[in-house]
Amino acid sequence: MADSVHGAKAVSDIAASDIVETVPSALIVLDRNLIITSANRAFYQTFRTSPIETEGCLIYALGNRQWDITALRTLLESVIPHRASVEGFEVEHDFPTIGRRTMLVNARKIFSPGDHDGSILLAIEDVSEERAARAESKRNWQLTQSIVDTIRDPLVVLENDMTIVTASKAFLTIFGITEAETRGRRVSELLQHQWDVPALRHLMEKVLPENKPIESFEIEDNFPGLGRRVLNLNARKISQPGNHAHRMLLVFEDITDRKQRERDALSLTNEISHRIKNNLQVIVGLIAYEAKWTAAPCVQGYKTMQARIGAIAQLYDLISQTSRGRTVAVDAYLREIAKTMSASLLGNTSGIDIEVKAEPVEIDPDRAVPFGLLVNELTTNAIKHAFPNGSGHITLCVEQVDDQIELVVTDDGVGIKDKDLAKSPEKRGSDYVAIFVRQLGGTVVPSKQGPTGTTVRIRLPLLLVPSGGAEPLAA
Amino acid sequence: MAVILIVEDDVFIREVAEMMIQDWGHQTLAACDVDEALTFLRSPQHIDALFTDIYLKELVHGGCDLALQAIALRPNLRVLYTTGNNITDKMKALLIEGMHFLRKPYTQHQLQKSVKDLLGA
Repeated sequence: MADSVHGAKAVSDIAASDIVETVPSALIVLDRNLIITSANRAFYQTFRTSPIETEGCLIYALGNRQWDITALRTLLESVIPHRASVEGFEVEHDFPTIGRRTMLVNARKIFSPGDHDGSILLAIEDVSEERAARAESKRNWQLTQSIVDTIRDPLVVLENDMTIVTASKAFLTIFGITEAETRGRRVSELLQHQWDVPALRHLMEKVLPENKPIESFEIEDNFPGLGRRVLNLNARKISQPGNHAHRMLLVFEDITDRKQRERDALSLTNEISHRIKNNLQVIVGLIAYEAKWTAAPCVQGYKTMQARIGAIAQLYDLISQTSRGRTVAVDAYLREIAKTMSASLLGNTSGIDIEVKAEPVEIDPDRAVPFGLLVNELTTNAIKHAFPNGSGHITLCVEQVDDQIELVVTDDGVGIKDKDLAKSPEKRGSDYVAIFVRQLGGTVVPSKQGPTGTTVRIRLPLLLVPSGGAEPLAA
Repeated sequence: MAVILIVEDDVFIREVAEMMIQDWGHQTLAACDVDEALTFLRSPQHIDALFTDIYLKELVHGGCDLALQAIALRPNLRVLYTTGNNITDKMKALLIEGMHFLRKPYTQHQLQKSVKDLLGA
């Protein structure tokens, strides 16, 4: 208790004038006739005046009548007489000494004991910079909004809590929503909750805290007045310099037409593929029918023919899976060929394995089929003839050497004996290899053959689509 | 020997398949579309297996739909699909789990192996 009394006395020992002198706001005291009786240091500094010029002066007459301001007269003569205090009265004026300023004036009537007329304490705060910053921010916002409104894709800006701050005109027009319906609401709450998708919500929640943009999130739904549409949603974090608050830009791209074109193209591809495969099936069937009535020694030839037709069909599938628009990725293509051959000719229990070592080079689709048939022929030869004991290793290698593609097919089998070449099936196989190499405009590079194993090295011209000319398309 | 219902809209392909399957000692029934196949499946005719093309006439997944209806009618029926098209995710979703598949063009050897696997499964 004693401490408390002591503390109160200590505070009262601080002179009121000391407090007045240290506050940053400009303070002046006026008597009932609006004569300045005193002012603090902040006032003199702010308005570049002195006590001699100030004290005893009618406020309107101060500093060459620069305080003779209509708004101030209204405050002092019409508002103050009827109220004990006024706060936040804003006065904008061009002061000759300090230029154009916005002042925030707080006024309070103060009464000393025995003083019935009382005085007026005016606290004047220069808020010019804050107001200028606010005006600048407003101008920036208007500029941003006008840019947003010129973008044809609908978009919204979201707060940290996922509520909409602003929506572009395109968004409001396309989805038939008013600005009032969007403001402060979440995207998932709009329309008939078409965007209320858990996966989208999950991704959106990561955009701001983890700075993870959303790229191409597709939503297909019925939208009122629009019908069935496919929308592509993209979102990213946006930051304002000097502002710690972050917002999210969510853009809606209508890809319905593009999607329909893709579906039409896929449908056409399926239709063509169906017809090609059926025609190949008819050819295989014709051969099967002929083989049925053919003498036994010739049947194997028919079967080989059927297998080669099957290989062409498989290559068409692989090309569609590995094509990048106008080119085919050789590395992926080669892996698919190896996988398919392993499955069809070797099976899971085979002791022969096929390894692919390929650089990422590309060839045009026109050459992809003969290239695939060449690889198919060389690999089939190795599988059939290199490993009489049923186990071994085949390597398919492709690399770019200057302006050529080098294809090397190697096995660690028994090797080629000269007498083997005289046998008819191998002779035919090597004839096919020579034909495919000529078709591709390449050459067979002589390779030194060891006592075991076989290496076939073929150089083909690169003939690539010019760099940047390939347009990636869906396979 | 088994009774196999072959559903294929291309007459030549269907008849060559019938010829091959008959050569291996099986009995065949032939249909060119879903409706014709369902007529067999709804009849009292004994059928061990269905060998169907997926793309039937204008129906891109006609064979998939047929197989689903066939299994609903005859739960023990064995199914072998064939198609020349790439297998899309949508197609995969429509295939009956554990059923057999043969890519077009297929040789008699490949069809024989598939039929043997189908009936032996």
